[in-house]
Order: sequence, then structure tokens, then C-alpha cells
Amino acid sequence: MSALLEIQGATKAFRGLVAVSDVSLSVERGEVCSVIGPNGAGKTTLFNLISGVLRPTSGRIVFDGKDMGRVPSHRFAAHGIGRTFQNLALFKHATVVENLLVGCHTSLRSGVFAGAVFFGRARREEIAAREQVEEIVEFLEIEELREKVVGTLSYGQQKRVELGRALACRPKLLLLDEMVSGMNQEETEDIARFILDIRDDYGISVLMIEHNMRIVMDISDRVHVLHFGQKIAEGAPAEIGRDDTVAAAYLGPATAKHPRRLADANR
Amino acid sequence: MRSGHYKESVPSLIVLSDSTAVWVWGGILVLAMAMAPYFLNAYLLSFLVLILITGTGALGLHVLTGCTGLISLGHVGFLLLGAYAYAVPVAKFGAPPLIGFLSAGVVPALVSIVVGVPSLRLKGLYLAITTLAFAFIISHVVLSMSWLTNGARGLPVMRPELLGIDFESDARFAHLCLVVAVATLFAVLNIQRSRVGRAFVAVRDNDIAARTMGINLQAYKLRAFMTSAFISGIAGALFGIYLSFVSVEGFPFLMSIEALAILIVGGLGSTAGVVLGTVLIVLLPEVARIALGMLGPQAEMLFSTAAHELRTVLYGLVIILFLRFEPRGLVGVWRDVKRLWVNWPLRH
Repeated sequence: MSALLEIQGATKAFRGLVAVSDVSLSVERGEVCSVIGPNGAGKTTLFNLISGVLRPTSGRIVFDGKDMGRVPSHRFAAHGIGRTFQNLALFKHATVVENLLVGCHTSLRSGVFAGAVFFGRARREEIAAREQVEEIVEFLEIEELREKVVGTLSYGQQKRVELGRALACRPKLLLLDEMVSGMNQEETEDIARFILDIRDDYGISVLMIEHNMRIVMDISDRVHVLHFGQKIAEGAPAEIGRDDTVAAAYLGPATAKHPRRLADANR
Repeated sequence: MRSGHYKESVPSLIVLSDSTAVWVWGGILVLAMAMAPYFLNAYLLSFLVLILITGTGALGLHVLTGCTGLISLGHVGFLLLGAYAYAVPVAKFGAPPLIGFLSAGVVPALVSIVVGVPSLRLKGLYLAITTLAFAFIISHVVLSMSWLTNGARGLPVMRPELLGIDFESDARFAHLCLVVAVATLFAVLNIQRSRVGRAFVAVRDNDIAARTMGINLQAYKLRAFMTSAFISGIAGALFGIYLSFVSVEGFPFLMSIEALAILIVGGLGSTAGVVLGTVLIVLLPEVARIALGMLGPQAEMLFSTAAHELRTVLYGLVIILFLRFEPRGLVGVWRDVKRLWVNWPLRH
């Protein structure tokens, strides 16, 4: 069986600026992968390409055996790509439950009229969606936040809601953009635990952008390194930690002669 | 006082309101409005009818501006279209009123696609100006198509007979408006707790995230326009029947402002706010007239000679006052009062 996600020579140029240059990478089924790289390396642009927010200038993105080039942006979720955003993109005037229910959008069918009457199939559908949301609420341990308006929650809680909203899409691949940035040790460990459970219990593959090297080294199966839009390394976390080019990209060429373990960089 | 929400099944989580008090008081209010025509005089009854019709129209704008965040000044265009879409087949070609009401909803909904398409790319002020232009284009088109619309002379419309019930009397017509208003309120509340309504809010709050969740932005903005225009069109038809005469003069641009004022005064995005805002805005000119009357006959004279101008000033004034002092609207005040009632004498 082919890889779940296969990016073949993807390039994205904004006029003169080449944000992502000829990047190829793949995510296997049941894998937790990380994308790391210094600021401005093109990680988020790569995510935008995978989730259909942006279109590649050249190259192909094949997801689950299907070329996504001609799939409209709003159909990416239905194909099984869920994501969170780097700087929170929640519906902040809605409650936690409502946010999660928006995540269920593609698995529901009712239109304006069915919704207005709210009877029969439309009602059954809402009940089923709510059941699914309750399951996610329980999984993420946010029971007490259910009816809170999202804008009133703390940053860490909002991140958790965003993870839940992405899960409600029932994705095959979950894209997490800097999930644990700005979180304390305890919150970070919670998220790490959730990511592993998502993979093991739900069978969802995870691709995450992360600056926190502890979590990258601890839970990813494979790590891809971007630098100035190009992929400079790929491998198991331990190999990446010893890689000279990676150390040079992060710490500058001079220090590469005295390589430190990259995993120590955050400590 | 309740100490928490204890639910035992999932269906009980998605009900419109889990509070018996809300249902009981709501029922009493509707019953009171149904009985009101037999107790109120014609003058007071006209206020009730106006509140019901205006409320229905405001709910139409609420779907577009409150829920989906698309600011529209073209509301009056949809009201006018609805009124003519009712009057032309019924008064001119003798179609049954039920067909008239259907066309009063469908015609504006179809035309709204034309004005909705620019909205796919425009936001905020630019959209407001586009819809403003739309309102004026509609009234020009209506005036120029005099072979169909009688142009500036307008069309007289009778009170309808629907499903064998004659709505000729004032009391019966008030009942018709009550049924339509309550049905619209429930339809809007249901839309808000279903897939489409959540998609509207998602488009309003964060369009990129909405698209990533699988929401087709174009389709849902158009859907918001069509739903809004459908409801507004029905309200327009009722207003035309209320005036018993459909003409361009009967639908001044001020109605667009009035509808926006209702949403702002009530609290943008809240359905309960639409109800509260409608009551305040419809009664405001009357309250102002009585207040001016206390200042002496000359002040009252001013009101009878410059009623339209005074209403314009009043709407502008309440919009500014609410935006400055209570941006959450009457719904915000209501929540504060409720919290105070529950927690007193504690501060929070």
C-alpha cells in the first residue's frame, strides 16, 4: 500500500520569494512525523499546501492515492485532511461544542430547509454529531468547558479545542502547526499523550510542525528538516539529532565543528 | 435557582431551551399577543402588527448580517421585491394569495444571487456600499417596469384569504402576522442549531478555518443571502398588505437603517436581541412623540410635520449611543440583569 501522503517536488513561490522549493516527503499510515526547521524555513507554507489553503506553483500532492491538484480547497477536509493553525483560528464567538460541531460539517448533510424544520433526519443527524462531539470532549478532557464561549478560554485550552475541532473532521491525516508553543511542561505532556493516543486508538497519522525539540525527539517516528524552503534532512529522531547539516542550519556553520546534540538545544 | 445542568441523554443536549420557565413565559407571551386584538384599539393594534412584521424582516437581516457577518444596506430592496412579488401576481393577475406569498419569498431569493455574487469577494464597507446600490437599483427597476408594476402609481392590495380563512379583519390579519413571525423565529433558531447555521457563524468568525473544516465559502455566503432574502421578502409582502398599497414610496431607504439599528440595539448575532431590538425600535418614535408632547404643542407639531426626519435622527442617535455605551446591545443588559438577580447581594 502506498504512503498516506506523498509530496512530490512541491514548490511554492510568492512572486520572487520561493517559500517552499522542490520539497518531497511522505507520511506513512500510522506514523507520527515532525517537520522542523528555523523560523522562515517554509514549514507553515508547506502545511498550507497540504491542507489546500495554498496551491503549489509546481509539483504534486498525492493524498491517499489521489492527486489533490484539482480538488477544491473546501473538499480537502472531506478527503481526510484535518489541521490546526499556528495562531489559533477558532470561531471565537461560538461555544466549545459549537466549534467542534463545525468540525463535523463534512459528515452531515442537512441543508437550510431541513435545518429550519429540524425534524426527522436533520434532528437524528444532529444527535449523532453531538454524540461524536461528546466522545471527543471526553477524550480531550474538556468536559467542564463544553458550553464556554471559546474567546473566553485560556490559550492552552483554546489549542486543545482546536485539536478537538480537527479530530471532529474524522481525518486520516492530522496536521498540527506548533501545537505546544506557549504551553507549560504539564500542558505539553498532555498534548504529547493525546497525539500518541490519536495515532494508536484512532489510527490517525500525524504530521506536526514543532519547535519544542523534546516532544519532537520523544514522540515522532520520523523527522523532516526544512531550511530556507528546502528539505535538508530526513530520518529517525536520533539520526537527525546527530546530523551536522541540521545543527549547522539551527546553530550556524561555525558551531557545526563542535556539534552539540540538537535535542539539547531546548534545554 | 439552578445549580447546574444535568443531562441524561444526547437528544436533551440539543433542545432549543432546557428551561421550563422560558417555554412557559414564551407560551404566555404568544397567547397574550393572540388575544390582544380583542382588547386593544385599532391604534395600539397597529403597533403590535408593526412589531411582528418588522421583527420578521429583522430576522431576515439577522441571518445575513448577524450570523454570517455580511453587512447589508440592501435590506429594503428585498422587502420591496417581496411586496411586489406578492402584489403583481395577486393584484394584477388574480393569482391565489398563497402563490403570492410563495413568490414573495422565492423571487427575492433568486434576485439575491445577483447581489450575492459580488459579496463573495467583498467585505465590510465595500459590501455595504454594493448592497446600498442594489437597493436603489431595485426601486429604479420597479419604477421603470410600469407595464408590470404600475410604476409610481403603485398597486393596491387587499387583505388575503388563505386556506379558506379570511384575513380581512384587523384581528385576523394580526393573527396572520403572529403566525408568520413565530414560525420565522423558530425557523431561524433551528437553522442556528443545525449544520447550516454553524457554517454561517464559521464563515463570519474565521473564513480560512471554515474552509479547512470543509465549508464551501461561496456556497454558504450565497445561501445566507438567499435565506435572508426569502424571509425579508415574506415580511415585505406582509408590510405591503398592511399598507394595503404597494409602492416605492412605501419602502423608504430608512427601512434598511431601521433593520440595522434593530440588530445593533438588540445585540449583533443574537436572535433574542432581534426580538428585543424590534420592540424598542418600533416603539421608539411613539415614545419620542409622547415625550415631545409633554414639552408643549409646538414640539408635538414638529413631530407631525417632520416625522420621517425625526425618525432618521432617532435611529442614528440610538445606534451611536448603543455602540458607545453598550455594544453588546439589549441582550447584554438582559444578561447583566439576570446575573444581578441570581447573585445579589454578592457582586458577581
